Amino acid sequence: MKSRQHRITQVPLARWLAIEFSGLLVISLLWSLHSPLAGYSAFIGGLIFIVPNAWFVHQVYRYQGARHARLMVGNLFRAESTKIALTAVFFAAVFTLMEPVHVPALLFTFAVMVVAGGVLRWLIRPQTRR
Amino acid sequence: MEMVFIAAAIIIGMGALATGIGFGILGGKLLEATARQPEMANQLQVKTFIMAGLLDAVPMIGVGIAMYLIFVVAG
Repeated sequence: MKSRQHRITQVPLARWLAIEFSGLLVISLLWSLHSPLAGYSAFIGGLIFIVPNAWFVHQVYRYQGARHARLMVGNLFRAESTKIALTAVFFAAVFTLMEPVHVPALLFTFAVMVVAGGVLRWLIRPQTRR
Repeated sequence: MEMVFIAAAIIIGMGALATGIGFGILGGKLLEATARQPEMANQLQVKTFIMAGLLDAVPMIGVGIAMYLIFVVAG
C-alpha cells in the first residue's frame, strides 16, 4: 500500500455528524408525537443513512492530491458501492429482525436525511489548504 | 407476488445503472481535470464529493423502497 500523503483537505466529518444527529433527534421527536414506535423507527431510518455515509466520507478522503488521482477515483467507486451495499443490508436487517416497525416513519426519515445530507455537504464544504 | 420481486429488481437495477453511469462520468471528469490542472486536485475532489452525494440520493431511496417491497410486501 502506498504511503498516505499529508492531509490537505480538512473534512468537517464531526460537524456533519453532529448536525445530522441533531436533525435526526428533532425528526424522531416529531414522529414520537404520533407514536413511540414511529419515533423509534424514524431514528433507525436516520441511522441507516448516517452510518454508511460516515463510512463513505472516511473512504473518499483516504487519498488526496493529484499524485494519488487514480487511487482517489478508485476509492470513490469502492466507497460508493460499499455504501449502497451497507444501506441494503441495514434495510434488510431492519425489515426482517425488527418487529413491529413503522414503515412510513422509517422511509420518510431516511429520505429526508438523504436529501438533507446532500444539502449539508454543499453548505458546509471541506476546506482545502494550499 | 412475482410482480413485487420484478418491481424491486427494476428499481434496484435501474438505480444501479444510473449511478454507475453517473459515477463513471464523474470519476472520468475528475481524472481528466486533475491531469489538466494538478494544482486544483483538492478542490476538484471536494466538488466531486458534493456531486457524488447528490447523485446517489435517488438510488439510495430506491434501495430502501425495494427492500421494503422484498421483505415486507412480499415477505
